[in-house]
Amino acid sequence: MDDGLRVTLRQDAPIPLDIDLDCAPGEVLALTGPSGGGKSTILRAIAGLYAPKHGRIFSKETTWFDSEIPLNLPAHKRSAGLVFQNYALFPHLDALGNVMAAMDHLLPPGRMGRARDLLGLMHLKGLERRRPAQLSGGQQQRVALARAMARDPNVLLLDEPFSAVDKNTRTTLYDELRELRGVFRMPILLVTHDLEEAALLADRICLIDKGRMLENGPPRAILTHPVSEAAARLAGLKNLFRAQIVAQDNAHSILAWAGGRICAPRRDGLNIGDDVAWSIPSTHIVLRESVPGDMTDRENVVCGVVDAQTPLGETMRLTVIVDAPQQPRLSATLPIHDQQLSVCRQGARVTLLLPAAAIHLMRPSD
Amino acid sequence: MTSKSSLSMRFRDRCMLFAAILVLMLGAGPASAVASASVTIAAASDLRFALEELETAFERDTSRQISLTFGSSGNFFRQINEGAPFQMFMSADEDYVIQLAAKGMTADAGTLYAIGRIVLFAPKGSPMKVDEHLKGLKGALAKGEIARFAIANPEHAPYGRAAEQALRRQEVWDKLQSKLILGENVSQAAQFATSGSAQGGIFAYSLALSPAIAKRGEYALIPAQWHKPLRQRMVLLSGAGETARSFYAYMQQPTARAILQRYGFTLPSEAQ
Amino acid sequence: MDWPALVLSLKLGVATIVILLPVGILLGRWLAFSRFQGKGIVEAALTLPLVLPPTVIGYYLLVAFGAESPLGQTFQALFGHTLVFTFEGLLIASVIVNLPFAVQPMQRAFQSIAPEVREAAAVSGMNPWRVLTKVDLPLAWPGIVTGLVLAFAHTLGEFGVVLMVGGSIPKETRTISIAIYDRMQAFDDHGAGMMSALLLVLSVLALGLTYALSNRAVRRHG
Repeated sequence: MDDGLRVTLRQDAPIPLDIDLDCAPGEVLALTGPSGGGKSTILRAIAGLYAPKHGRIFSKETTWFDSEIPLNLPAHKRSAGLVFQNYALFPHLDALGNVMAAMDHLLPPGRMGRARDLLGLMHLKGLERRRPAQLSGGQQQRVALARAMARDPNVLLLDEPFSAVDKNTRTTLYDELRELRGVFRMPILLVTHDLEEAALLADRICLIDKGRMLENGPPRAILTHPVSEAAARLAGLKNLFRAQIVAQDNAHSILAWAGGRICAPRRDGLNIGDDVAWSIPSTHIVLRESVPGDMTDRENVVCGVVDAQTPLGETMRLTVIVDAPQQPRLSATLPIHDQQLSVCRQGARVTLLLPAAAIHLMRPSD
Repeated sequence: MTSKSSLSMRFRDRCMLFAAILVLMLGAGPASAVASASVTIAAASDLRFALEELETAFERDTSRQISLTFGSSGNFFRQINEGAPFQMFMSADEDYVIQLAAKGMTADAGTLYAIGRIVLFAPKGSPMKVDEHLKGLKGALAKGEIARFAIANPEHAPYGRAAEQALRRQEVWDKLQSKLILGENVSQAAQFATSGSAQGGIFAYSLALSPAIAKRGEYALIPAQWHKPLRQRMVLLSGAGETARSFYAYMQQPTARAILQRYGFTLPSEAQ
Repeated sequence: MDWPALVLSLKLGVATIVILLPVGILLGRWLAFSRFQGKGIVEAALTLPLVLPPTVIGYYLLVAFGAESPLGQTFQALFGHTLVFTFEGLLIASVIVNLPFAVQPMQRAFQSIAPEVREAAAVSGMNPWRVLTKVDLPLAWPGIVTGLVLAFAHTLGEFGVVLMVGGSIPKETRTISIAIYDRMQAFDDHGAGMMSALLLVLSVLALGLTYALSNRAVRRHG
């Protein structure tokens, strides 16, 4: 960890911050959460554009910021590459000029060659002489990235880099980012409000809301086993409900929910009588035309009426209103060519199975 | 040549061109008058045409050059007090010279060089008729034909004070007050009076005699007893140089006095 | 045509903008990028010469460095002559009077640079001086030149302050606008007319240049 980035930030106002994070060389850490949560502020603080009231920022054994001393290295003395949300390219310089502008630390003879190399790496060969106004959004993004890398930074910071770009270009840029990871071994912090994007690109995801870190872990864990109900909400989990534990044995807890019983894996610290929150990934819900006779409790049979079918590219999301007074809605995601979908028009009755192993219990957050 | 470096080269070229023009302009300008030999003489505005003739004669006769600045005597008095770099002062009111001499700012007490006179002037097309008793003025005033009447500002222009004195004496001042436009000096008063936007005015005789003004209307000489004499005194200021002294002496010689006389000034040896 | 007066006016204009170039850039940039208590007061003070009658400015300048003031007397002791009624006195007056003409367009030019672009410059490793020379000045120069052109044109036309602080001393403080006034009083309409026409042409040229530059600025920022 000594070669990586370590950040602690604390502040009450004007922007609340309560962050402890670290990122190893070659690791991609995504900062995800609702807008206005302070994610961009964190990047700006690391880059040296914002000084919080308390905190410490270390990179590669160098202290960039320490409110105790106090020490606050200005941005040009740190070694961070920052890609702004709107690229912030120098409008009066061409692509080559933009990249060379970040090369003050190199001797003049070597700059042009290295800049060309970087632009070539970004698949911008032939576009060196173009000004930003003459480049497409994706091309500008790449120039911004090349400029950030031109500094030979210790840390790469990306602020919503793909938000202004169309979906196809985005997929290409994801691949390019992965390429870069391989070539340059440095900690990479990526701010995005798109959880799917974070899941695709990052090794770890930090969920941040109102400046506070709610959870920090690999994407899988965040999406299937969020640490708290709040984290689950933040992670955008569709099937998130409240229930009460009415029975328990060594391995399982039984929940009272929607007029029926749900069997879930037992979770330490949660006892009979407790209110809990529970979730199940939409991809793990099984669709059945009718209920076979040999169902076990662990398969959690639920009946309901189809409310809507929403196609999402390769998958179809089915929203089902459960037969229960409160009419909770379950979201199931199925492959778009699943034959069973043909009988699931709006208003059709369906049976869903919720495998107990896929259910995740959490303490409720208020 | 990359586009970026050619861009910065054009920028640099333009900067250098700009700088070159600046240097040329700063260098080509005239040297500061304080360092140069140019002699500046402050002269009351009534002397404008007379002195321009005199300047030409002086330069012809002595091959020396002077610089003339015209304005109201009171204004010059203030400026000289504040250190204006004049070398000679030709005032239309000797009081100013006396005060300066008392402060030790002059070479000596100065010399009376002329006695001035004022005229009533009516531009072409004015309903007012000019006569030395101001009857025409009074008549036009009574008929409401006078909308605007120009004199120099009595506060600091001697010719303005003389105009006021004459008008008060003829008991026209009160009625005329609301119609007055005040020139900053007697030349400007003449300008207003001849412009056609005023129905007439009172200004210096010397100005009325010049061809430029004479052709614009009619004038009548106002009796000298109706105002305090316009005793015009000139003086060399402390630190005056050769050329100024030379001009000062020249002013008292026959050529100069003849020119002054032609412009309607009464010469001191005549009146005193 | 009073050629010495024209040359004097041009010389005054050039000298004024030579001084106002660094002063305007520094002040304009400082006001554009700093936030501090009392910034409004500084900006209002800078705008003052725009709204004050020139005679008021002339009056206070005389009070400040006329022959009776401490400043004026120090100057007299040092250099042997007064500050007023000299070209140097006019230059000081001209710089003060033209500060807002120079500073305001320059300030606006710096303000129009997207803050993110400047932040990107800092994060790219440029120290504040490099940010100034490589980002701020190239992006703001149309506004800088506009400020200088306006100040130059305004100096050519300045009358009230020049008359009060400079008098009308030929070759020293008789600028072309004073010369026009003088020619009118000499009933030399021809001379006054010629010089007025020249000043009119110069002013139109200055305005044209200003508009061309601001269009250029728009194109430059993409």
